[in-house]
Amino acid sequence: MRRTRVTALAAVVAATSIVAAGAVSAQSPGEGWKVGLVTDVGTLDDRNFNQYSWEGAEQGAQAIGGTATAIVTQGSADYNKNIQTFIDQGTQVIVTVGFALGADTVAAAKANPDVFFIGVDQGVCIDENGDNDGTFTCAGDPAVLLPNYQGVIFAEAQPGYLAGIVAANVSKSQHIAVIGGAAFIPAVKNYAEGYAAGARSVNPDIKVEIQYVSDDLNKAFNDPAGGKAFAEQLLSLHPDIDVLFQAAGKTGNGVLQAACEAKAANPDVWGIGVDVDQFLSTPENAACILTSAEKKLSNAVSAAVQAAADGTSVGGNSLYSAANEGIGLSPYHDHEAAVSADVQAAVDAAFQAMAAGTLDPLGATAP
Amino acid sequence: MDVLYGIPLIGLLFQLIAYLVQVLPLIAPIIVVLATPIALGAMCGFMNERSGVVNIGIEGMMLSAAFTGWVAAATMTALFPGQTPIAGFFGATPALVVGLLVAIATGMLVSVAHAWLSISVRADQIISGTIINIVAVGATGYLNILISGTAPPTAGSFRAWVPPKELMDLPYVGWLFDAFLNQGPIVLTMLVMAVVLQVLLFRSRWGLRTRAVGEHPKAAETVGVDVIRLRYRNVILGGIFAGLAGAWFTLEYGNSFQGGMTNGRGFIALAALIFGRWTPIGGLGAALLFTSSEAIGTAIRFQPPSGELAQLGDLLSGVPSQVFSALPYLVTIIVLAGVVGRSLPPAAVGKPYQRESVS
Repeated sequence: MRRTRVTALAAVVAATSIVAAGAVSAQSPGEGWKVGLVTDVGTLDDRNFNQYSWEGAEQGAQAIGGTATAIVTQGSADYNKNIQTFIDQGTQVIVTVGFALGADTVAAAKANPDVFFIGVDQGVCIDENGDNDGTFTCAGDPAVLLPNYQGVIFAEAQPGYLAGIVAANVSKSQHIAVIGGAAFIPAVKNYAEGYAAGARSVNPDIKVEIQYVSDDLNKAFNDPAGGKAFAEQLLSLHPDIDVLFQAAGKTGNGVLQAACEAKAANPDVWGIGVDVDQFLSTPENAACILTSAEKKLSNAVSAAVQAAADGTSVGGNSLYSAANEGIGLSPYHDHEAAVSADVQAAVDAAFQAMAAGTLDPLGATAP
Repeated sequence: MDVLYGIPLIGLLFQLIAYLVQVLPLIAPIIVVLATPIALGAMCGFMNERSGVVNIGIEGMMLSAAFTGWVAAATMTALFPGQTPIAGFFGATPALVVGLLVAIATGMLVSVAHAWLSISVRADQIISGTIINIVAVGATGYLNILISGTAPPTAGSFRAWVPPKELMDLPYVGWLFDAFLNQGPIVLTMLVMAVVLQVLLFRSRWGLRTRAVGEHPKAAETVGVDVIRLRYRNVILGGIFAGLAGAWFTLEYGNSFQGGMTNGRGFIALAALIFGRWTPIGGLGAALLFTSSEAIGTAIRFQPPSGELAQLGDLLSGVPSQVFSALPYLVTIIVLAGVVGRSLPPAAVGKPYQRESVS
C-alpha cells in the first residue's frame, strides 16, 4: 500500500515536471534560480519538519536547475530579517517553514511581488488590502492580491486520525495520550484532535489525554529533555497510558524516548511519531515507534518550488491530503506483528474514505 | 480532614499541602533529574565566579560537551559492537565511559579557552562567554548535519542505580530515597559534589583562597596567593561540571544529540547561581525550586486536584500554566532586588587581574 502511494505521488510530481518541460522548450525557466529557505526557530538537522522541508527545497531547486540555501532562524524576532536577507540577495523563490512565519511572509510577499514565496504550514489568509489577517476572516482573494505567495498546507487531522485508529486498536488499557508542542499552532492541534477522533471511532469510550507542552516555541518544539520529562510525568500520574503520540518536533523526540523506556517495564507501551517516518529518522528510539503520522513534506515543497518556476503557481493554498496522497501512515517496519490485518483494513478504509471526501476526521463525531 | 479543608482561605492551604503530598512522591524523581544540568551549570559558574571570572558561556560549554561525548560514545559503539553493560555499574559500557570522559575533557578544553581570554588576554569576559555560546551552537549544529547524513547512531545511556527496595518502601521518607538515589551516575555525582564543594568552599584552604581571589585579588596576592594560577585552575576545573551537564543530555537522560538541545539551561544555571547566593548547595536548591515549580504546574494540568480537593482544583484551573513556568524567575528578580535578603556577587567578579609589578 505504501509503495503504491509513493508511486502515485511520484506520478503527480512527474506530471508537474512534464508540464514544465512542455511549456518551455529549450531550458527550464527556473535555470539558475536561487531558492532560499528560512527555518522556524530550531535547526536544519531536526530530522523532522525543518529538515524535510529543506530536502524538498533542495530537490525542487535541483529539478529546476537552480541552487538552494538555507538560513536557520535563532529567534522569532529574526523571521523578517532572514527573509529580507534572501530578498537582498536576489533570491527568486523563498520558502518559509512553519505557521509562525506566516505574518512576516505575507508582508514580504506584498512588498516584493517579483519574488515567489512558499509558506509551509501557512494557510493563506489575507484581508482586502493583501495584508495578513489575524482575525481569520480571510476576505481577500489570494490569487488576485498575492499571486506570488503559495501556502503549502496539510490536512494533519487525517494522518492523526489514522494514527488514532492504530493507537486505539493496540492499546490494552484503552487509555492513550497525545503530546503536542503548542496549542496555538493549528497543525499541532489538528494532529491531536484528529488522533482523538480516530481513536474514538474505534472505541467511543476510550480515554484520550490531549496535552500541550508550552506556548514557548523553544520548549514546545526544541527541548528533547523537557519533552521526555513531560511524558514521564504524564506516565507517572497516569500509569495505565500505553500509547503516546507526539506532535512536538524535537521535544517530541524526548516523548518517544520516554515511551521506549516505559516499554522496558511494560511491553504494551508504544510511541507514534509525527511528520516523517520517525522509525527511520530517529533510529535510537525505533524499538518503540509503531508508526508515524506522516505528511509528505519534501515532496510538497519540491512540487511547490517547481510550480513557482514553471509559472503554474497561482497563489493561495495548496492542500496536501489523502486525496492527493500528501499524507499517510508510515510503515510499521519491525513492529508489523503488533498490527493485525483487521486494523490495517480499518486504516485503509479510513484513508480511502478521507480521500473520497466521505469522512471528515474533525467533523461529526463517530457513532 | 473535611473540617480542615472547609476553613476559608487557610483550608485552601491545607488542600494544597494534601495535593502536594499526593503528587510529589510521583514527580519528585523527575524534579531531581531535571535539576541536574542546572545545578551542574551553577557549579561551573560557582567555580568561575567565586574566583572572580564571569562565565556566561556555560550553555555553550554544555552543548559542546553534549555533542562530543555523544559522538565519541556512538563512534565507539559502531567500532566495537556488542559491548555488554557492566552489571551493577549504572549499565555502563566502555563506549559510554569513553563518551563521558570526552564530554568532561571538552568542558575543560572550552574552559581553557575562556580562562585564557579572561585571565591572560584580559578580554571582556562577557564577550568571551558570548563567543563560546555562539560558536557552540554553530559548530555542533553544522557537524551534526554532516554526521546525520549517515544513520544517526546511539550509544544507549547510563541506567539508574537502584537502591535497596526496603529503603524506597520506607513509610513517609521512602519516596525521597527513590527521588534522590534511584538515579544515574551524573545525577548522583551532582548531589555529592554540591555537598563536597560547599564544605571545601567554607572549610578548606582552597576555599578561603578562592574566596579571597574573588573578593580582593590584590590582598590575596600580597599574602602570597598566585591569583592568576588559582583563577586558571578553578576555571578549568569548573569545566568538568559543564562537561558532566553536557553528558547528562546525550549519555544519561537522553540517548542522542539534537541541535540546540541544552535549550537555555546554561542560562537558567546562572539564575540558580545568583539565587543560591554563589554557593553550591544554594545553586542546587535553586535548581530544585525552578524545576519543581514547573513540574507541579504540569502535574496540575495532568491531574487536577479533585474530590475533597475540588475547591483547590477550581482555583488552580483558572491559573494559566505559564504562571508556574514564570514563577522561579519572578522569585529570582525579587531576590536580586534584595527583598528576601541580599544576594551579592563576589566583589572582583568580571575584573581581570593585573599584577602591579608587571612593568
